[in-house]
Amino acid sequence: AESVVVCVEGMTCSSCIQSIENQVGKLSGVHSVKVSLGDKNAAIIYDPKLQTPESLKEVIDDMGFVAAPAD
Amino acid sequence: MPKHEFFVDMTCEGCSNAVTRVLNKLGAVQFDIDLSNKKVTIESDHNVDTLLETLKKTGKNASYLGDK
Ligand SMILES: [Cu+2]
Ligand SMILES: [Cu+2]
Repeated sequence: AESVVVCVEGMTCSSCIQSIENQVGKLSGVHSVKVSLGDKNAAIIYDPKLQTPESLKEVIDDMGFVAAPAD
Repeated sequence: MPKHEFFVDMTCEGCSNAVTRVLNKLGAVQFDIDLSNKKVTIESDHNVDTLLETLKKTGKNASYLGDK
Protein backbone atom coordinates (compact mmCIF):
# COMPACT_ATOMS: atom_id res chain seq x y z
CA ALA A 1 0.00 0.00 0.00
CA GLU A 2 0.99 3.59 -0.58
CA SER A 3 0.34 6.64 1.53
CA VAL A 4 -0.45 10.19 0.54
CA VAL A 5 -1.17 13.44 2.34
CA VAL A 6 -3.76 15.67 0.75
CA CYS A 7 -4.14 19.31 1.85
CA VAL A 8 -7.76 20.14 2.49
CA GLU A 9 -9.10 23.69 2.78
CA GLY A 10 -12.53 24.57 4.07
CA MET A 11 -12.91 22.22 7.03
CA THR A 12 -14.15 24.02 10.10
CA CYS A 13 -15.44 21.48 12.57
CA SER A 14 -15.48 17.85 13.58
CA SER A 15 -18.46 17.10 11.34
CA CYS A 16 -16.38 18.14 8.31
CA ILE A 17 -13.74 15.65 9.40
CA GLN A 18 -16.35 13.00 9.96
CA SER A 19 -17.83 13.38 6.49
CA ILE A 20 -14.44 13.20 4.78
CA GLU A 21 -13.35 10.19 6.78
CA ASN A 22 -16.64 8.42 6.06
CA GLN A 23 -16.72 9.27 2.37
CA VAL A 24 -13.07 8.52 1.60
CA GLY A 25 -13.03 5.56 3.96
CA LYS A 26 -15.69 3.72 2.00
CA LEU A 27 -13.87 3.95 -1.33
CA SER A 28 -12.49 0.69 -2.63
CA GLY A 29 -8.76 0.48 -2.19
CA VAL A 30 -8.62 2.84 0.76
CA HIS A 31 -7.18 1.18 3.83
CA SER A 32 -7.25 4.08 6.23
CA VAL A 33 -7.83 7.79 6.34
CA LYS A 34 -6.92 10.22 9.08
CA VAL A 35 -8.08 13.81 8.78
CA SER A 36 -6.53 16.62 10.81
CA LEU A 37 -8.44 19.85 11.24
CA GLY A 38 -5.39 21.64 12.70
CA ASP A 39 -3.01 20.57 9.94
CA LYS A 40 -5.69 20.98 7.26
CA ASN A 41 -4.90 17.68 5.66
CA ALA A 42 -5.92 14.09 5.17
CA ALA A 43 -3.44 11.25 5.45
CA ILE A 44 -4.62 8.33 3.37
CA ILE A 45 -3.25 4.84 3.00
CA TYR A 46 -4.43 3.26 -0.21
CA ASP A 47 -3.90 0.52 -2.74
CA PRO A 48 -2.20 2.08 -5.80
CA LYS A 49 -3.94 -0.43 -8.07
CA LEU A 50 -7.32 1.00 -7.13
CA GLN A 51 -6.68 4.65 -6.27
CA THR A 52 -4.23 7.40 -7.11
CA PRO A 53 -3.43 10.64 -5.27
CA GLU A 54 -5.37 12.38 -8.06
CA SER A 55 -8.49 10.25 -7.68
CA LEU A 56 -8.45 10.72 -3.90
CA LYS A 57 -8.03 14.46 -4.28
CA GLU A 58 -10.93 14.45 -6.75
CA VAL A 59 -13.26 12.76 -4.26
CA ILE A 60 -12.53 15.32 -1.54
CA ASP A 61 -12.91 18.09 -4.10
CA ASP A 62 -16.30 16.74 -5.14
CA MET A 63 -17.42 16.89 -1.54
CA GLY A 64 -17.09 20.65 -1.65
CA PHE A 65 -13.68 21.09 -0.06
CA VAL A 66 -10.62 22.46 -1.78
CA ALA A 67 -8.08 19.68 -2.00
CA ALA A 68 -4.52 19.59 -3.30
CA PRO A 69 -1.77 16.99 -3.04
CA ALA A 70 0.75 18.01 -0.38
CA ASP A 71 4.36 18.23 -1.44
CA MET B 1 -38.26 27.38 -12.79
CA PRO B 2 -39.30 24.86 -10.14
CA LYS B 3 -38.23 25.58 -6.60
CA HIS B 4 -37.35 22.71 -4.28
CA GLU B 5 -36.64 22.58 -0.62
CA PHE B 6 -34.12 20.18 0.91
CA PHE B 7 -32.98 19.29 4.37
CA VAL B 8 -29.19 19.12 4.66
CA ASP B 9 -27.59 18.32 7.98
CA MET B 10 -25.24 21.31 8.14
CA THR B 11 -23.70 22.32 11.43
CA CYS B 12 -21.46 25.25 10.58
CA GLU B 13 -20.22 27.57 7.90
CA GLY B 14 -17.79 24.94 6.64
CA CYS B 15 -20.76 22.74 5.82
CA SER B 16 -22.68 25.48 4.07
CA ASN B 17 -19.57 26.41 2.09
CA ALA B 18 -19.25 22.81 1.00
CA VAL B 19 -22.88 22.82 -0.12
CA THR B 20 -22.27 26.06 -2.01
CA ARG B 21 -19.30 24.55 -3.84
CA VAL B 22 -20.99 21.33 -4.92
CA LEU B 23 -24.02 23.25 -6.18
CA ASN B 24 -21.89 25.72 -8.10
CA LYS B 25 -20.00 22.80 -9.58
CA LEU B 26 -23.27 21.27 -10.78
CA GLY B 27 -24.25 24.59 -12.31
CA ALA B 28 -27.57 25.94 -13.59
CA VAL B 29 -28.90 26.37 -10.08
CA GLN B 30 -30.00 29.28 -7.95
CA PHE B 31 -30.05 28.52 -4.30
CA ASP B 32 -30.45 29.84 -0.84
CA ILE B 33 -28.91 28.23 2.23
CA ASP B 34 -30.53 28.55 5.62
CA LEU B 35 -27.87 27.21 7.96
CA SER B 36 -29.78 27.59 11.22
CA ASN B 37 -32.77 25.65 9.91
CA LYS B 38 -30.57 23.21 7.92
CA LYS B 39 -32.51 23.99 4.77
CA VAL B 40 -31.43 24.55 1.20
CA THR B 41 -33.85 26.01 -1.30
CA ILE B 42 -32.89 25.40 -4.91
CA GLU B 43 -34.38 26.87 -8.03
CA SER B 44 -33.36 24.77 -11.00
CA ASP B 45 -34.45 22.73 -14.00
CA HIS B 46 -32.40 19.78 -12.77
CA ASN B 47 -34.63 17.05 -11.42
CA VAL B 48 -34.96 16.37 -7.71
CA ASP B 49 -32.85 13.18 -7.84
CA THR B 50 -29.92 14.98 -9.43
CA LEU B 51 -30.12 17.76 -6.86
CA LEU B 52 -30.36 15.34 -3.96
CA GLU B 53 -27.43 13.29 -5.26
CA THR B 54 -25.39 16.46 -5.54
CA LEU B 55 -26.21 17.53 -1.99
CA LYS B 56 -25.32 14.07 -0.70
CA LYS B 57 -21.88 14.35 -2.28
CA THR B 58 -20.93 16.54 0.67
CA GLY B 59 -21.23 13.45 2.85
CA LYS B 60 -23.95 15.06 4.94
CA ASN B 61 -27.40 13.66 5.48
CA ALA B 62 -29.79 15.17 2.97
CA SER B 63 -33.43 14.67 2.12
CA TYR B 64 -36.10 16.19 -0.06
CA LEU B 65 -38.68 18.29 1.77
CA GLY B 66 -40.92 19.28 -1.10
CA ASP B 67 -41.77 21.95 -3.65
CA LYS B 68 -41.96 25.53 -2.65
CU1 LIG C 1 -17.59 21.38 9.78
CU1 LIG D 1 -19.81 22.31 9.46
